Amino acid sequence: MFDELFTISTLVGILHSCVRLATPYLFASLGETFGQRSGVLNLGVDGIMLMGAFFAFYVVFEGHNLWVGLLAAIAVGILMGLLKAFVSVTMQSLQGISGIGLYLFGLGLSSLLFKTLIGSVEGVSGFRQLAIPFLSDIPGIGHILFNHNALVYLAYLMVPVSWFVINRTTLGLKIRAVGHNPEAADTLGVSVNGVRYTTMMIGGALAAVAGASLSIGLQNVFQENMTNGLGFIAVALVYFGSWRTVGVLGGSLLFSLVNALQLWVQALAIPVPSEIAVMMPYIMTIVVLAFTARQIQKPAALARSYERGE
Amino acid sequence: MLRQIRISMLIFLLLLAACGGSDEDDGAANAEGAPFRVAIVMPSSTTDIAWSQSMYDSLTTVQSEMGGEDALKIAFSEGMFRVTDASAAIRDYAAEGYDLVIAHGAQYGNSVFEVASDFTETSFAWGTSSDTGADRGIENVFAYGAVANEGGYVNGVVAAMLSTNDVIGVIGPVAGDAKLYIDGFVRGVTDVKPDAQVNVSYTGSFSDTTLAAEAAHVHIQAGADVLTGSAQQVVGAIGVANENGVAWLGTQSDQISLGPNVVVTNQIYNWANVISDMIAKIETGELGGTAYKLTFENDGLRLEFNENIEIADEVKEAARAAIEDIKSGVVDPVLLEEDDE
Amino acid sequence: MLTGRRRIEDQFVYGIARPTGGHRAVNFRLNAPYVQMYGIVKRFPGVLACDHVDFDVRRGELHALLGENGAGKSTLMRILYGLYQPEEGRILRDGAEVTIHSPTDAIRQGIGMIHQHFMLVDTLTVTENVALGLKSSREPLLDLDRVEAGIRELSEAYGLQIDPRAPVWTLSVGERQRVEIMKALYRGAAMLILDEPTAVLTPQEVEELFVTLGYMKENGYSLVLISHKLQEILSISDRITVLRSGRLVGTVPTKDMTRQELARMMVGRDVMLERDRDDEIDVGEVRLRLEDVKAVDVTGQPALRGVSLSVQGGEILGVAGISGNGQRELAEVIAGLRPMTGGSVEMDGTPITDWSTARRTEAGLAYIPEERMHDGIVRDFAVSENLVLQEHTSDKFSHGIFLAFDYIARYSRQLVQDFYIKTPDIRTMTRNLSGGNIQRLILARELSRRPKVLVAAQPTRGIDIGAIEYIYQQLLEQRDTGMATLLISEDLDELLALCDRIAVIYEGQIMDVLERDKTSAEELGLLMAGVHPERQ
Repeated sequence: MFDELFTISTLVGILHSCVRLATPYLFASLGETFGQRSGVLNLGVDGIMLMGAFFAFYVVFEGHNLWVGLLAAIAVGILMGLLKAFVSVTMQSLQGISGIGLYLFGLGLSSLLFKTLIGSVEGVSGFRQLAIPFLSDIPGIGHILFNHNALVYLAYLMVPVSWFVINRTTLGLKIRAVGHNPEAADTLGVSVNGVRYTTMMIGGALAAVAGASLSIGLQNVFQENMTNGLGFIAVALVYFGSWRTVGVLGGSLLFSLVNALQLWVQALAIPVPSEIAVMMPYIMTIVVLAFTARQIQKPAALARSYERGE
Repeated sequence: MLRQIRISMLIFLLLLAACGGSDEDDGAANAEGAPFRVAIVMPSSTTDIAWSQSMYDSLTTVQSEMGGEDALKIAFSEGMFRVTDASAAIRDYAAEGYDLVIAHGAQYGNSVFEVASDFTETSFAWGTSSDTGADRGIENVFAYGAVANEGGYVNGVVAAMLSTNDVIGVIGPVAGDAKLYIDGFVRGVTDVKPDAQVNVSYTGSFSDTTLAAEAAHVHIQAGADVLTGSAQQVVGAIGVANENGVAWLGTQSDQISLGPNVVVTNQIYNWANVISDMIAKIETGELGGTAYKLTFENDGLRLEFNENIEIADEVKEAARAAIEDIKSGVVDPVLLEEDDE
Repeated sequence: MLTGRRRIEDQFVYGIARPTGGHRAVNFRLNAPYVQMYGIVKRFPGVLACDHVDFDVRRGELHALLGENGAGKSTLMRILYGLYQPEEGRILRDGAEVTIHSPTDAIRQGIGMIHQHFMLVDTLTVTENVALGLKSSREPLLDLDRVEAGIRELSEAYGLQIDPRAPVWTLSVGERQRVEIMKALYRGAAMLILDEPTAVLTPQEVEELFVTLGYMKENGYSLVLISHKLQEILSISDRITVLRSGRLVGTVPTKDMTRQELARMMVGRDVMLERDRDDEIDVGEVRLRLEDVKAVDVTGQPALRGVSLSVQGGEILGVAGISGNGQRELAEVIAGLRPMTGGSVEMDGTPITDWSTARRTEAGLAYIPEERMHDGIVRDFAVSENLVLQEHTSDKFSHGIFLAFDYIARYSRQLVQDFYIKTPDIRTMTRNLSGGNIQRLILARELSRRPKVLVAAQPTRGIDIGAIEYIYQQLLEQRDTGMATLLISEDLDELLALCDRIAVIYEGQIMDVLERDKTSAEELGLLMAGVHPERQ
């Protein structure tokens, strides 16, 4: 009975699902990685995602181009990031609490705007599946990797881009320094708050794109609280990935793989109780976390606001 | 510390501004000719195009039948997935003197009976259930539910006729929930095509639209060419069905707006008659004790075809025939069981 | 090292944040003033930290800045580095007036500062720490290869041995200090302010630092060394400026000075720092004995691996070692504050291994803890309350459950007077006292009980020379009355001045116990680094 699971077409299907499912997690957790590496914990990712999802959807719903929708989401994400930065960096509020506040704010405002501006659940035509010529013809791999919508490709492109920015640019060096020893960075003329504002804006933009990837990419609808706590899992994935982009990629893929697997196990009527199937991703997450509890890279100044002392 | 409190206040105020849109109404006097006041507590939002919306839409229908806000005032609390929140809301509405408080979720049972025994002058309604608490001496609770397997059966018949691959996908929320609908659906399919394959998958959530969307992808890749599903999470799945041009059969609310070209039928829960009857009873002083069931027979269930797309007459005919068979009792779509959403 | 050295002109090629002015030390004239400060005034609430102070540094000079705590030396240098703004006064660089608002301005003027607490990012490599905050040659991308090449050249030129690719967390304290110096050099500093740079180094690392500073001097760098170690200043500096209570006492050429003269300038009177070598005392019975004592540190790692020591009455036994080799645990084990995992402790022949701290105190053990602000006093208690902290339940200070306030007040006033504790009142919050006065308070409390055994951990760290002198006097007086003292210190000069015997601790083990008169700082330094000459 498990034979069905190991046919080529099923395995390809599972991996294809996995690659697609990881998209919102990747955007959101890469964005969160920027923030956390600079020492700011943003628990409001889910709220920013909802705002991004709503604005992208609304702009497209109003008849504009998909890319305009994406830009609208990015703009809103940057604004939400600025709000978070203002509260946590300038006002030095406790980062955990202000993050939850931002989440509730995003949840409430996106619901309110949805009710007043749209009113009922509607559909739009989102980013279409875009098979990459030639590459998508490769048997197996082609379908798994090169037969997705544009936002999926963008998510995976963000992995090396984020890695490069963090590890190979002067901004990245400042981010890493500020997250670990803001006093030291400050004495060298690095603006600690400036760097943290920047990472909050980057993180906000990426979280908003994560939301847009749902509302105009993967589902093409908007519903209140449609992220269903996905942003919180994205924050957990940053810890899971030990604050490294490749770790975040691995975590997102693993989490998505197990999710894809359980959907396929059920859809193929393989006799595993669906309760067990539904629990699989969480069990897997706990197991992996237990074995990867390395915290070497944890930014020492994470969740600590910085005030220049004498 | 002070600073933190100040910022928390700021955020809180922002939130209030953001969430202040609910249709609360406090100042209504209970004078002669004053409107009937009904409050509803529901697990998801009024726009979930599923369970909660079906009740909200029915309420507004009754409202316009009765003559608008002057005759019927509606207050609601949505997104009350957590029972503790719902319990507090039910008690608040009762204390504020609402004439009827509807607890629109199977999980609210204990809360309803607890509050009902404290506010014996207020009428309550609990769905999904057939238990009015009469055996516990409670007299002010109505119960209601939908015989969803009836619509499930008809949708199953339609699915079997539409499918050319003979593979059909079902997306459920939490295993056990929506059981009536899914059992009826499977029975309907197999009555028409005994060899057709029905793949059922659960996401483990009512609201995980992302996983529901992916489940739709999975079913399509596994060969399904007709899909159905339940709970508010299905919006994601309908989006996917729409994008892939795969037929979707809806339940609970009207879902055509999401998939104008793929949604073929909707089983719609019409609570209007139930609500009107409850209001009539309350006004004569009967505060509870009745258990209502939505069926095709009592017009509580309706099957609506999507007018925008062309549907073969034989499919429509088979669906109508199935409804008639159910009404007349020729077909009994699986045993009637309790507790379905 | 010498062969690889380059002339100063070449060094500044790598300084990206190059000053706009002509500070580059190209064509410098040795002995020309680089920075001049005139009439600097800085007030803090209630204190005049700098009162019209003049100060200048020449090119190619090592200028020591000397003074007690609170004399204003750190404030003066923080003004120069842009951390504070002066109320009055002028700062000139190369003869032209400049304004320095921030460390960034200071760096632009060629002024770098090496803080006592290193400002390094542990997780980054040496190269990344140096590159941090600099404009890259190919913005926005990093140019670490170029920075690394620059580091290697500077490193060779000044004997600053560092691996540019090593992450900072793998480096020793001495290496980290080199990274700090490298940061300043790479930024094109022509002048370095070093704040107590030797406090954290081993004698060997001090030597290496001084060699580096020598090279820098030759190449025209101006160096300011803030220190209170007289011996060190006398051996390395060219000129010395002494500050006292915010005022300039004088600037003198080092070659004309002796320790005694410097101490007099600092304190304003004659200071007795040398122990009278003639006084032979009678050594009595063993009062404190440790046998094979084992203990673990806060992380559960072994900190003491079998320490055996004995201290006799009328003797001061010193414990030398680099910080973190088990000294803290040793003191805490004797005081009864840390459980032992093996071995035994005896006092006057009685095993006290299982005794509580209170019982040890009662039996005549006194303890001056290393973290005096945390472990020695209650910061928010009044001076008088802290003075009777340990004995407040004894009949002297209480009637039943009530404290005898009148007696406590009289007793406290007496101690404040006897031990020269500078406090406005005995009801003053202890947190408002200076470090030296808090140490006097602890000393007063501990010694007034006429203890049999005293354990003193770093009793003079961070306090001014006047208070140090007083503490030395007290320790020697008590010794003469037959008390056994275990003195744990990282200051070799102090140990050599006070102790009869010196034990060296390294990685939780006693390397050796040496007679004071038969050893030297060099021998102790090697032992402190874990090198035992006789055992090799």
